[in-house]
Amino acid sequence: MGEAERVPSGTTAQNERLTALFDAHADRLYRLARRLAPSVDEALDLVQEVFLRVAGASRPVPHGRSAEEAWLVRVLINIRRDQWRKETVRRREAAQSGPPLAETPSPETSYVRRLTVWRALEALSPRRRAIVVLHELDAMPASAIASLLGITTITVRWHLARGRHELAKRIRETGAPHGQPDSAVEGR
Amino acid sequence: MDNLTQLLKDADPLRHDSGLSANRERLRSAIAAVRPAEARPSRRAVLPRIAALAAAALVALVVAYVSGVRLTTPVAAQVRFEVRLAEDHPVPGLVVAQVENTGQVIYLHPEALVSNEDVAGAVAVDGTSGFSVEVQLLPGAAERLRQATSAHIGRPVAILLEGRVAMAPTVRSPIAESAVITGAFTEAEARRIAEGISRR
Repeated sequence: MGEAERVPSGTTAQNERLTALFDAHADRLYRLARRLAPSVDEALDLVQEVFLRVAGASRPVPHGRSAEEAWLVRVLINIRRDQWRKETVRRREAAQSGPPLAETPSPETSYVRRLTVWRALEALSPRRRAIVVLHELDAMPASAIASLLGITTITVRWHLARGRHELAKRIRETGAPHGQPDSAVEGR
Repeated sequence: MDNLTQLLKDADPLRHDSGLSANRERLRSAIAAVRPAEARPSRRAVLPRIAALAAAALVALVVAYVSGVRLTTPVAAQVRFEVRLAEDHPVPGLVVAQVENTGQVIYLHPEALVSNEDVAGAVAVDGTSGFSVEVQLLPGAAERLRQATSAHIGRPVAILLEGRVAMAPTVRSPIAESAVITGAFTEAEARRIAEGISRR
């Protein structure tokens, strides 16, 4: 794609807002998108779709950095949720109509382990997955996630507990990753 | 659970990803070139007219009621009818509403996809658990609804009567020319609603 075309003057204010929003939030959105989507391309599409939705929305995005961020993150999770639902249906149909695609994972242990965990994450609903990755990987406290997503802290905690439970169960079922992770000391 | 946290950290795709930087400019210029919503034409222009009609009908009803006239056969007042997309969780900009006679809470999109002037006809239908109202839409509205609902599979769509959510079924497949409002209506209620809906 070459240079962007000049847009008609009536739209410039909106486009300026869009690019300002992009500049301020794209990295953050991409980080989340990449952790929710199956591939880099899908993560990029997801980020782009967020801004297309913003451009098409009947109401403007509220001003202020954290309000903007909350709005954009929620839109992103909603879009991902719609995609995920369609994928889930397709996956179910594929599972019924034929043998699963042959998987020949590399024998490399760490790779298998990553794949297992990644597959387990795929089973979580995008919202729950978002809550889990924000908490576990971005080290966001439950209260911060709650205000970002516009839900209560209790709901966040509940999703975290359910998410961990589902993940642990899935990982166990898929066959525990060979070899414990380096710091796996489960005290009890 | 440190174990799981560690597994997640190992599996984190961002560990093996250069981030947005490689694609930032491409994405940015695509977004800068976005034209503002060439969305479907706003329905706002016709809404005031319908609202006025409905308000007039409502006033007539209230006046009749207050003055002690029992409306056994109401003079077929318009029943304001709308179909809107909805969500089952809060989204900024959407309006919260409760589905009549249930505890279900949904979040309504601000614009009506379909309203009274899109209706070709409506009839009361005898169902297993009371009467329902089947609404047939005009072709333009049917196509609009089909397009909107095909992008809305798995999410709710709200059917509003007089501004209240009569039902909010989850879209299983695209909805087009007809919709059935199921509800344990009595025959008289179903008739009244059907007639009211067809009235523009």
